[in-house]
Order: sequence, then C-alpha cells, then structure tokens
Amino acid sequence: MHSQAIDFHPPAEEAAAFLLPVTTTLFADRAERFEALASEHSLSDWLRFLATLSRAQQQALKALPPLALPSADSLRQARTHGMPPLDPSVRPAAWRDALHQIASTLRLEAPEATRTELDALLVVSDAALEKLADSLMSGEPEATDIARLPFVAAALQVVFTQLASQLDAGQLQALDAHNVCPCCGSPAVASVVRLGAAINNLRYLHCSLCNTEWNVARAVCTTCNSDKAVALHEVEGSQGAVRAETCDSCKGYLKIAYQEKDPRVDPVADDLATLALDMLVDEAGYQRSGPNLLLIGAYSG
Amino acid sequence: MNMNRRQFFKVCSAGLSGSSIALMGFSPTAAQAEVRTFKLARATETRNICPYCSVSCGVLIYSTGDKSKNSQSAIIHIEGDPDNPVNRGTLCPKGAGLRDMIQSANRLKWPEVREAGTNEWKRISWMEAFERIAKHMKADRDANFMAQNKDGVTVNRWTTTGFLASSAAPNEAGYLTVKTIRALGMTSIDTQARI
Repeated sequence: MHSQAIDFHPPAEEAAAFLLPVTTTLFADRAERFEALASEHSLSDWLRFLATLSRAQQQALKALPPLALPSADSLRQARTHGMPPLDPSVRPAAWRDALHQIASTLRLEAPEATRTELDALLVVSDAALEKLADSLMSGEPEATDIARLPFVAAALQVVFTQLASQLDAGQLQALDAHNVCPCCGSPAVASVVRLGAAINNLRYLHCSLCNTEWNVARAVCTTCNSDKAVALHEVEGSQGAVRAETCDSCKGYLKIAYQEKDPRVDPVADDLATLALDMLVDEAGYQRSGPNLLLIGAYSG
Repeated sequence: MNMNRRQFFKVCSAGLSGSSIALMGFSPTAAQAEVRTFKLARATETRNICPYCSVSCGVLIYSTGDKSKNSQSAIIHIEGDPDNPVNRGTLCPKGAGLRDMIQSANRLKWPEVREAGTNEWKRISWMEAFERIAKHMKADRDANFMAQNKDGVTVNRWTTTGFLASSAAPNEAGYLTVKTIRALGMTSIDTQARI
C-alpha cells in the first residue's frame, strides 16, 4: 500500500487580505444561487429574474473588449496617498455596450413594466446613460429612474469586476476607512465569513460594485470600528446563514453571511433573499451601511 | 423627491412598494405580509482570551440577553477567534469545552475549606481564606526559613512551601507575583500555565 508521511507543520501561508473577483465564474455562480434561493420564496419571480440578470452579466463580462487599467503613474499616486486604484466615476465606455447587451438579452424574459424600461435604455443617448450612472454612483438618484438603475448597476458591476480582476493583489493596501473597497472605494454590500485553508472563518467585506473582497476582523462594527456593542440578529427559526451585524455604538448594520452554515452563500444574492431581516432590523432602529445595487429605492418617505 | 445617500442604502417594509422590485413589475406584497409573522433573535458577539494556559488563545463569545433590558444573560457559544494571530481560530479540547466550564454546576466560585478530621467542604469568606493561608505560610516560614547554609553562606531561602501562580494573569500581575514570592525567600514557584 502506498503510504505518505503526514505533514505536521501548520500551513505557512498567510491568509489573503484581499480576494479579487474570479471573472470566469462569479456571475454564473450568483445566477445559480439566485435560482436556488428563488424556490419557495415570497419574491421568487423577482429572484428568478435576477438569476437571468446575473447570467446576462456573465455573458456581457465574457464579451468585454480588453479594458485598460489606470496608468502606472496614477496607480502609484493612488498607492502613495492611500487611495483605491480604481475610480468609479471614470468609467470605460465599454460599460454602455455591456448595458446594451444585458438589456437586449433580458427584454424577452422581462415583465411588461421592465421591458419598457429596457427598451428605453436601448435607445437613450450615451450622455443620458452617463448621467444615469453618475446619479447612481452619487447615491442620490432621481426617483423616476428607480426601475432602470438596477440594470445600469449591473453593467457597471461587469466592467468594474473585470477591471478589479486585472489588478495586482500584491499592490493593494488596506485603506484607512475599512468599510470601503480597497479597489474602487465603493461601500460594501455585505460581509461573508469564508471557508478555506488559510482564510477559514475569516470575515471578508464584499464590494457592492466590483465584487472585490477584503478582510476585516470579526466582532467589530464595519461602520464605526467599535467592538463594544456588536450584536448579531437573525430571523427566528432561520438556519443562521445570513445575520445582521448591528452596532449599538453607531446604530448601523450590515448583513453577514456564513459559508460554514451554507457553503453556497453569495453576499449579493443572499442579501436580496433575506429582505425580511432588513425590514425587522430597520424597525429595530438600525441603519443599513451599504447598498445592494440590484435593489434601488426600498426606502419610504 | 430624490433620495439621499442614507435612503439609498435603506430597506424597509413600506419602501418595497415604491422600490425597483415593484416598478420592474414584481409584487412585493407577499414579502411585506410575511415579515409580520417573523421575529428577530439576537446574540451579542465579543472577543476574549481563554483563561486556561499561557498560550492565551483568542475566543469569540456569543451570549443572549440585553443588559439594558430585564433579561437573563447566558453564554450560548464559544469558538476560536480566527483573527487572533496566536491560535488562528483553533482551540485545544479544553478550550473547546470552555462553555461547559463556565456553566458547570461544579464550578468553584468562592473559597472553601475542608477542616482536618472532616470530609465536608465548607464555604468561607475571602478575608478568612486570606487570613488562614497567611497564618499557615507564616508558621511554616518561621519554622523552616534558612538564613545561612551549613558553610555560613547567606542564602535566605524558604524551601518547604511552593507557590502555583494563575495562568490568567497579565504580565504586570506575573511581575508582582514573582517579586512578592521571592521577597519571602520562596524557591519553588510555578504557574498553572504549564499544567
């Protein structure tokens, strides 16, 4: 029988501080997760449509032309001053092609109301599209654009995910503000506690725009950095795979998903499949600290 | 009205009706109705250090109960702290059983004494315990303290009593322990951390 000596040395590999998006599978995996979450869900039609949207994102990503990263000078300058290397207000023009591709793929499967919006997105001028993207990125969009913005966001996610994946993880650095993405400076959509060898049980924040993940210590508020009053809330009787990490120091919250409880969790899809948790935590007086760009305008008043 | 940045992040029940879900042609009514049947469960999450040995592994402690309200606090789960560079989320079997130690019915919570000739443990006050220990130490030291050895060299040693220090002490307490015990001339000093 073939035998092998057991290696008793602990892994020397340090846990990665940054996990760049894996462009070959990211949106396809997300689509699969949306599908799985959609069954027997009170928002199943919507989640199933978002699965289709994620699949369209994967196709658009695959069809992207080569994108140029910022110049070496600009990367160096960002590094020197502790800024993220990508600037979401500087968008490669390819995002509009991605949007057109996503819109034409989806229009056949979309409900009537959505089809009207998608058709409008396919014909409006480039300048109008840029204006939509600007208002989305500013976080202060017009109420009349609400139904179009998830698609604008989806296309921007495609190009910025591609750009982030081209960065050198060794050149990234943790920013002073640990609640924004070290690649593009966008707020996080949620945390995910990962499984793996070196990264086991570590918490990573997941970027709402470019899908980069970065490590932040657990049991610490991701908004105000205090560890004095962190609590976890879950819907009673749930499996506990998604919880809301609340902080009584700043009254903020962000969701946290545990791969240990369900290895297939996706920070974006599982976030949208657990809106009941948001509603309850919101009623309890906590304010969400990061957006999910596929759901716009879920506030009232 | 345009939304501001805070509203941009917000997700609330009333908001779903005007959100992209509804405007894209999907009905949020079932989700809004269902949430009224749900309740929140809450646990606080804190970081601490295992009290057993000198390795000082980091632990994450989860407990129920809200100090501000009239509710009973209880520790429901303890696990290794993955962010701690010492143990990287792992725990030894003793550390993994920490919750059972904390909640054990047999846990020693106050000084007890078993008097000579009895088989009963009796609860005593901390002051009485300190006094009795001090008296035992003084009697033994007075009887056995050696100022000089048989060659007349000054040694100032007390070898008949030993001291076992706590493993849960920080550096400062460890420093004071050694200073105090050595000042008495005691030579046998060890710590629970090695047990």
